[in-house]
Amino acid sequence: MTLDALSTVLVSGIVLASVYALIASGLSLVWTTLGIFNFAHGALMTLAAYLAWTVSDAAGLGLWLGAGIAIAVAGVVAAGVLIERLIVRPFYDHRDILLITVMTTLAAMIFIEKGSQLIWGARLKQLRPVVPGQVNFLGTTISAQEALIIALAPLLLGLLFLFLRNSRIGRGIRAVGQNPNAAKLIGIDVSRLFIITFALSAALAGLTGILLGSVRMVTPAFGAEPLVKALIIVIFGGLGSLGGTIVAAYLLGLLEAFLIFFIGIYWAPSMIFVLLILILLVRPQGLLGKVVR
Amino acid sequence: MSEAALALDIRDLRAGYDSYDVLHGMSLHVANGERIGLFGPNGHGKTTLLNAISKVIRPNGGSVSFMGEPIAAVSARGIVERGLIHVPQANRLFPDMEIMETLELAAFTRRARAERKTNLDYVLKLFPRLAERRRQQCKTLSGGERQMLSIGVGLMCAPRMLMLDEPTLGLSPKLKEELAAAIAGIGTRGMPMLIVEQDIAFVLSLVDRMYFVDHGEIAREIHRGSDVDHQEIMDMYFGERAAS
Ligand SMILES: Nc1ncnc2c1ncn2[C@@H]1O[C@H](COP(=O)(O)OP(=O)(O)OP(=O)(O)O)[C@@H](O)[C@H]1O
Ligand SMILES: [Mg+2]
Repeated sequence: MTLDALSTVLVSGIVLASVYALIASGLSLVWTTLGIFNFAHGALMTLAAYLAWTVSDAAGLGLWLGAGIAIAVAGVVAAGVLIERLIVRPFYDHRDILLITVMTTLAAMIFIEKGSQLIWGARLKQLRPVVPGQVNFLGTTISAQEALIIALAPLLLGLLFLFLRNSRIGRGIRAVGQNPNAAKLIGIDVSRLFIITFALSAALAGLTGILLGSVRMVTPAFGAEPLVKALIIVIFGGLGSLGGTIVAAYLLGLLEAFLIFFIGIYWAPSMIFVLLILILLVRPQGLLGKVVR
Repeated sequence: MSEAALALDIRDLRAGYDSYDVLHGMSLHVANGERIGLFGPNGHGKTTLLNAISKVIRPNGGSVSFMGEPIAAVSARGIVERGLIHVPQANRLFPDMEIMETLELAAFTRRARAERKTNLDYVLKLFPRLAERRRQQCKTLSGGERQMLSIGVGLMCAPRMLMLDEPTLGLSPKLKEELAAAIAGIGTRGMPMLIVEQDIAFVLSLVDRMYFVDHGEIAREIHRGSDVDHQEIMDMYFGERAAS
């Protein structure tokens, strides 16, 4: 492997990893707080990309991209809150909430996918990049948009960590995830923090969708593959550990890039699973996971 | 006794889980500044009573007032905001949080935040062991330390009344004494308290009055210094067995 090739693979791995880290952290946040997986998480990404496209593309309303981003993020936050209120909250006291919400959020995912197809059609769309042009990174030329993704991921995740560690609401969210009854008994409004968690998670999904929407083509199934990857990452990183999720996201992104380079795009996805299963055999709790949730 | 002289007034409270009632119309009261003990066999509804007051579960009927104000329909958060604080049985708290973080978080309501500094000083003075271990995570605390933190968390909520559910469960005699002293210390500030306790000697030393809970009802009220002696209480406890 030449130095050039190495740099290309490394950089594409970092871009992938950054996208994975952003999308998986939202999924992980909901898991650690509510103990459920939101299968509509990837669809929220799709929804945000379409909303931003509609507002800012010349074929849509043709407004400034900033307006598109703002409206798209607001839109998916609203959708996230709706999902929580309508199809998660009614089952909080149910013993099988985890399985029931797999079903209800899968239904929401399909609903959003089909709805998008109806509204925006199956034709590929692409968002304008937030930043145009190209830059050199580690000896490889990438689009400025990809560089933005690389820079924004650690920034946003760092902010998320600071929020969860130091702010009153952030600490409350962690408390609710670790012991909802004890949280209730110190005056925390558990249901309100669940909404905030869903809103945050949806905002992260939306931002990822908008960032990725100018790098990849947007289709109704735009968020499906990232969702699957995010699920794997959350499990592999260790359920209940946001830090583990982020470490796993970067590992998986790099691993994927190298596998694609060495064995090609055809077998790389399957090989990733084989490797992850092997690792989970040795470490069933995942990278940084706890034995119980 | 006028209404406002009562910290807590419970009448005919019914509550339970799923479809069955555990409390079948429980009535009791706690006067302002009074310390009350609650004892009775396992599984007869002591914890359920506290849960129903603090809204961990929703009561099915009856009335509850706190400081003269009806609170049966108030949310869990509203109960804490009013200063009626429930320190639950065997609380494992927030496993991944550190002691200091937990105490700071516990001052969550607006009123508690305003008193945060004073209350934190008080808690750390009451339990110096917590001050020594401020960066330690809840999940690694010993049983005694966890109980101290649990009470400390309750105090950080800016209580006007404390309800302690078996604060010495599973502790060694020495630790029990330590906690009893701390609880008595809290009581000397005139804080009304409701203390659930299996250890009768322990609770007798702390309270002004006791209720004996039997099958979800108050079966007996015992005044301190009244003629009920230790043996009689033991008989109440083991009454069924003694009779057979
Ligand atoms: N979450 C729950 N779901 C269903 N039933 C419960 C629940 N918690 C308690 N119970 C039942 O309610 C009854 C009363 O329990 P409770 O915890 O109030 O007893 P207790 O007097 O506090 O006992 P202990 O002294 O052992 O703590 C018991 O029969 C118990 O099995
Ligand atoms: Mg109990």
